Amino acid sequence: MSIQITRRNLIRGAAILLGTTALPSFALAAAGGRLVIASDSEPRNLNPAMVASNGVFFIASKIVEPLAELGYDGMKPLLATSWHGSDDGKTLTFKLREGVTWHDGQPFTAADVAFSAMEVWKPLQNLGRAIFVNLEAVETPDDHTAIFRFSQPTPVQLIQNALPVVTSVLPKHLYEGSDIKENPLNLAPVGTGPFKFAEHRPGQYYRLTKNDAYWNAGEPNIDELIYRVLPDRAAAANSLEAGEIGLAAFSMVPLVELDRIGQIDGLEVITKGYEALTYQLIVEINHRREHMANLKVRQAIAHAIDKQFVIDAIFLGYAAAATGPVPANAPEFYTPKVTQYDFDLDKANALLDEAGYPKDASGVRFSLDLLPAPYFSETKQFGDYLRQALIKIGIEARIVANDSAGHQKAVYTDHDFDLAIAPTVFRGDPAISTTVLVRSGLPAGVSFSNQGGYANPQADALIDKAAVTLDTDKRTALYKEFQQLVAADLPLINVADWSFTSVAATSLGNVANNPRWPVSNWSDLTVER
Amino acid sequence: MNFVARFIRSPEGIAGLVLLSLLAAAALLAPVFFPGDPLAIEGRPLLRPFEHPGLPLGTDRLGRDVMAELFHGARASMIVGISAAAVAILVGALVGTLAGFGGGLIDEALMRVVEAFQIVPGFLLALAFVSVVGPSLTVVVIAIALGSWTGPARLARAEVLSIRERDFVAAARVIGMHPLEIAVKEVLPLALPPVMALTSVIVAGAVLTEAALSFLGLGDPNIVTWGSMIAEGRNVLRSAAYLSIVPGLGLVALVLGVYLFGEGLVEALARREGQG
Repeated sequence: MSIQITRRNLIRGAAILLGTTALPSFALAAAGGRLVIASDSEPRNLNPAMVASNGVFFIASKIVEPLAELGYDGMKPLLATSWHGSDDGKTLTFKLREGVTWHDGQPFTAADVAFSAMEVWKPLQNLGRAIFVNLEAVETPDDHTAIFRFSQPTPVQLIQNALPVVTSVLPKHLYEGSDIKENPLNLAPVGTGPFKFAEHRPGQYYRLTKNDAYWNAGEPNIDELIYRVLPDRAAAANSLEAGEIGLAAFSMVPLVELDRIGQIDGLEVITKGYEALTYQLIVEINHRREHMANLKVRQAIAHAIDKQFVIDAIFLGYAAAATGPVPANAPEFYTPKVTQYDFDLDKANALLDEAGYPKDASGVRFSLDLLPAPYFSETKQFGDYLRQALIKIGIEARIVANDSAGHQKAVYTDHDFDLAIAPTVFRGDPAISTTVLVRSGLPAGVSFSNQGGYANPQADALIDKAAVTLDTDKRTALYKEFQQLVAADLPLINVADWSFTSVAATSLGNVANNPRWPVSNWSDLTVER
Repeated sequence: MNFVARFIRSPEGIAGLVLLSLLAAAALLAPVFFPGDPLAIEGRPLLRPFEHPGLPLGTDRLGRDVMAELFHGARASMIVGISAAAVAILVGALVGTLAGFGGGLIDEALMRVVEAFQIVPGFLLALAFVSVVGPSLTVVVIAIALGSWTGPARLARAEVLSIRERDFVAAARVIGMHPLEIAVKEVLPLALPPVMALTSVIVAGAVLTEAALSFLGLGDPNIVTWGSMIAEGRNVLRSAAYLSIVPGLGLVALVLGVYLFGEGLVEALARREGQG
């Protein structure tokens, strides 16, 4: 059969072409009910159940929902309405929401949760592998109850804190029997969330449309979300000014621009909404190196860092000085009662003298290699700063700059560093991604883990004990002890805790109303027309 | 009239010479005026130029003295430019001479290698080389030379092709000199002057390539270069443009100086030929 070229077909073709070229440049004002968001990365995999990372959640959390979401006053039910753990810590029962349907119209049931837990979270997910390591089975006595059975006692506190991050539920009927890692839905997810995946044009945008059948009647309030791919950060600021985009989250607008952008009518700078997404600026230490194995040297380095300068000059005030491995905006666990290291060069020099590393004729005690992580401009700048700070106490640092892959290999696989600078993430509970920075015995190659060869049986015992302590108060007390131990023995040095900022059009409503806002589902977000 | 006199008569040459001498003086005297590490933190971050008497060009985002960075940056730029050009011309002239003098299979093989390097844009070659080997001053010099030795090689070969037919070469053969000795001792010195004329082009290119590499974060992070200063300043372009403009002007002056100086040289050489 041949295709007839008619005038009508030609016109239709031209209209489609016109439509596609016009799409990326929607103006916010003209759209009405549409929000254009700047996106600095284009995740290859949009499956949040498999890749639990903020880059994926930023887009996918609007489509695929977890069992619960964090609010400013504690955990809020989402797909689960309630949960409780047994006294022996071996079972955890979730009551699931009724009347929820998937985007393809099928009902959401406990079978979906069981499938996601056993087939995806536990075997495939970056964080779930550790958290659900003792998960044996998920029983589904009825369509709206899921009972998680663990082989070892598992603290409810840990699972609850991890719920928003590790429990995105996938539709069993679309994934069962397929190779989950290769399932095409990983690129075009189907979930229960307020928005449905519509299309992705590589290099241009992702389009999400309103889910009219969302379980919470009346939500969402916006017809369409467009994530415009804008890898250049300077471009995000300009697009906001021009009104082409309505929201730039995750500090896409550089800190130095915030003052200027904040003055512009119709835009506001928002620092709220990231409390549960704290990044930590840490100095990783290779304890295999003779100098670094000496506690006095580590203490001297801690005393040589002027945290206030780092916060003012590098983070322009958008950060807080860190006291230990748990940030202050995790009040459940945080304790300030730990060893503090004031900025004190005399003390640092004295400690190094005591340690047996006198200055030579040119004022140098010893040299070392410093590897700043290339992921953020802040980590690189801190590298430049730390080099200067170390020179002042007679330590000559040579900065080794690598690209991301090279840095990962050098630090986490080859251990070819003395000091490294890393942006680690605190994920609501120390057991999720904090204790791995201290625990010994991890295989080489695991990023953001203790690859510095630090081995302290006391710390290991504490971490292991906390991991199986069910009583929430006792568990919290153990993590406070953990913070004291880390601050005293310095397996790593915590410098600053920083978070992100958003710049949003003032026409947006219900912005930053929970501590994980950019990666929550935005069902209540509004756009003034 | 000697060569120096002819050079002095060209206004471009004089302008270039003055610019270059000033920059060379800045580079050589940098450790005298600004002893110590130019990356040391000297004051409050983001001081504007002329705001603080001790820091005439202000400070950058970490409070480093922009003036000190500028002087030391001149050093890095000139070292990279001159060494890259030296390596490129040395390697190019040698390869060109061997190819031209050897002829036949050697010529074919060497010229195919030259072409292989020529078809890849020099900057991409440098980018790839630095990302694989890791950034340091030596690596950057080699990376830039990799992309710029082919010009001298072709030019040297062309010169050698005409020189090798002259009588004195035949005479050298007759007295039993080794061909390699003839090539390096007798032919190369004569083929070199026109190749040297490429120096200015290569130095200017090398300075810019180095700046571009540093701008992309592929320079040596332990030294200050104008490219890395511009890259640092780019983040604050809207609020502290001087951080990018100051080193940018340095680059303009250096490249312009090298170019004018080269023009002067070429003119002086051309006049001599015209008179002869």
